[in-house]
Amino acid sequence: MSERITDHPVLDPIERKKEVSFLFNGKSYKGYEGEPIAAALLANNIRTLRYHEESGSPRGIYCNIGHCFECRVTVNEKQGLRACLTPLKEGMEIQSSGMLPTPVKEWRETHV
Amino acid sequence: MKQQDFLVCRCEEVTYNELMETASRTGCTARELKLRTRAGMGYCGGRTCRPLVQQITQKLEKAPHTRVTLKYQPPVRPISFGDLGGGEE
Amino acid sequence: MYDVIIIGAGPAGLSAAATTANQGLEVLVVDEYMKAGGRLLGQLYEEPDGTYWNGIKESNHLYERANQSGAEIKLGTSILNIEKSGDVWLVYTEKDTYETSHLLLATGAAESPSPVPGWTLPGVMSVGAAQVMTNVHRVKPGKRGVIIGVNPLAAVIASELQMAGVEVTALTLPQMNGLNEEAAHPKQVMNQLLHVAHMAPSALIRQGSKWMKPSIMQDLGITFYPKSGFKMWGIPVHLRKAVTEILGDEKVAAVKLATVKPNGDVIEGTEEIITCDFVCIAGGLYPLTELAAVAGCPFYLVDELGGYVPLHNERMETALDGLYVAGNITGIEGAKVAIAQGVTAGLTMASNHGVQGLKDRIEQSIEEIEQTRDNAPFHFHPDVKKGKQIVQEKWEEMMAAEQPL
Ligand SMILES: Cc1cc2nc3c(=O)[nH]c(=O)nc-3n(C[C@H](O)[C@H](O)[C@H](O)COP(=O)(O)OP(=O)(O)OC[C@H]3O[C@@H](n4cnc5c(N)ncnc54)[C@H](O)[C@@H]3O)c2cc1C
Ligand code: FES
Repeated sequence: MSERITDHPVLDPIERKKEVSFLFNGKSYKGYEGEPIAAALLANNIRTLRYHEESGSPRGIYCNIGHCFECRVTVNEKQGLRACLTPLKEGMEIQSSGMLPTPVKEWRETHV
Repeated sequence: MKQQDFLVCRCEEVTYNELMETASRTGCTARELKLRTRAGMGYCGGRTCRPLVQQITQKLEKAPHTRVTLKYQPPVRPISFGDLGGGEE
Repeated sequence: MYDVIIIGAGPAGLSAAATTANQGLEVLVVDEYMKAGGRLLGQLYEEPDGTYWNGIKESNHLYERANQSGAEIKLGTSILNIEKSGDVWLVYTEKDTYETSHLLLATGAAESPSPVPGWTLPGVMSVGAAQVMTNVHRVKPGKRGVIIGVNPLAAVIASELQMAGVEVTALTLPQMNGLNEEAAHPKQVMNQLLHVAHMAPSALIRQGSKWMKPSIMQDLGITFYPKSGFKMWGIPVHLRKAVTEILGDEKVAAVKLATVKPNGDVIEGTEEIITCDFVCIAGGLYPLTELAAVAGCPFYLVDELGGYVPLHNERMETALDGLYVAGNITGIEGAKVAIAQGVTAGLTMASNHGVQGLKDRIEQSIEEIEQTRDNAPFHFHPDVKKGKQIVQEKWEEMMAAEQPL
């Protein structure tokens, strides 16, 4: 969780109420309830949220405010949700969409 | 230095050269250019690349710097499959 | 059926909500984001008096005010379409359809892209995305980043990233590519920077703003511009270097940076590789007008306001009965102007709904927008006032043309 900002020189700390567990492409991670899925994943060093449907090129967040739809994932079997707008909940099952040419590679980077 | 090609429309993966080439080959209108290449017609509804596609088509048509009614198709956000049935969360 | 529906819980929408609800109207605010405040949430900069403009605090304050005045605020809900049926505006979400007599569009702005080869790689994001990740969600966008695009928003966000302990290695231009003549042209970018010079804690820029006003001096300035750049908040700013490509396999690993001539042409053989784990694209902002467009509003292209804006009058009424606009949908400006516009829109809706005696207050609120604009620490577009004038003129032309009866 090295990527989280815990003491900001000007801004008050944000409320991080409850730590929750969730699954992304079948692996278990931890994040905070209510934060966007995209933020929780980035805090776990995960940038690739999906692969382009035709070319398979990897994609992550681009606008982070719901405009570009680059971050769409499947959450509890509901397709096409924007990871940057969807609040994280305990036990969520999140799946990348599109082609998955090299899922092992990113998994290895974050786990080995 | 020769410029590398790059994507303009991220959703439909349409490149700059593709757009320029289609535009100069067919001499088509802005609307046709979008239909031919699919630039700006993908999942995001053109929210990301619209200013770029507009720039290209304005150059083409020496677009009127005037009052217009912009063409946008509803819905402005794609409907997710889960919600078509109107079921509960 | 609501008296008023407001789409967008940013500064414009929230301030309009409090204003109308305080006049006794039944108000619903809808926003697709998970928090109220819109793009104000991510803002953090030092005011000329040394205090901080803290977007989270300001947002909470606006939210509380709207809430206490009795407005209903629904978050996490996207509006897909709006449509007029008789005297009623229909507002569609995925699940429900709401009805109202007065509909305010306060949907704000979106970021213009500035495409660079490799810009779809994970780790490349808009500069606003980095701002929101850092200030709102407190997750670092990466350890070390490069910002492509030198403009006021990029500079402000660079300083915010640095404040949060994220290293920004460089603010630099994109390579000129046929779609970015202004943003990739060293002299034009320098010219734009001079307009925000007073904000920059950089002696070079501040002095520069004095002696570089004439165009000849700007030519000289950019020719002798230090190749190593200068620093703003300790962050290197390069006006004579441009990113030609973003490199990486599965995600961003580096950018390729080349020296450019004063006219923006790349000087061959000068490429260097700068490693980084994230890249921000800063292409500027444009008004997010899609709902006004599907409703059939007439538009006008006003570059000084950031793009196409729906024609509207000073009272924030559009050409369509019962449809109003406020905030950045009417042109790119800071949050304080959006708040002031929200007040005017709110009062106008209340007045049109039948609340008596608001005429003077509306007039006064219109003047307050103007004053707020004059007092803004900087303008996204230096000629914003001219832009506003154009809209006013076009509105009047349209009214004159369309009232033959
Ligand atoms: C990424 C970004 C960064 C910015 N940073 C700064 C800055 O640092 N300093 C500064 O002075 N200005 C900044 N601005 C300019 C900013 O737009 C204004 O300061 C101000 O926030 C505008 O207020 P607003 O109420 O008009 O819109 P916003 O604050 O943008 O609020 C609009 C709201 O409408 C919602 N919305 C839009 N469409 C829909 C829909 N279809 N359905 C449901 N909800 C919708 C959005 O979710 C958003 O919450 C930034 C703008 C952007 C886009
Ligand atoms: S990152 Fe653009 S919609 Fe989520």
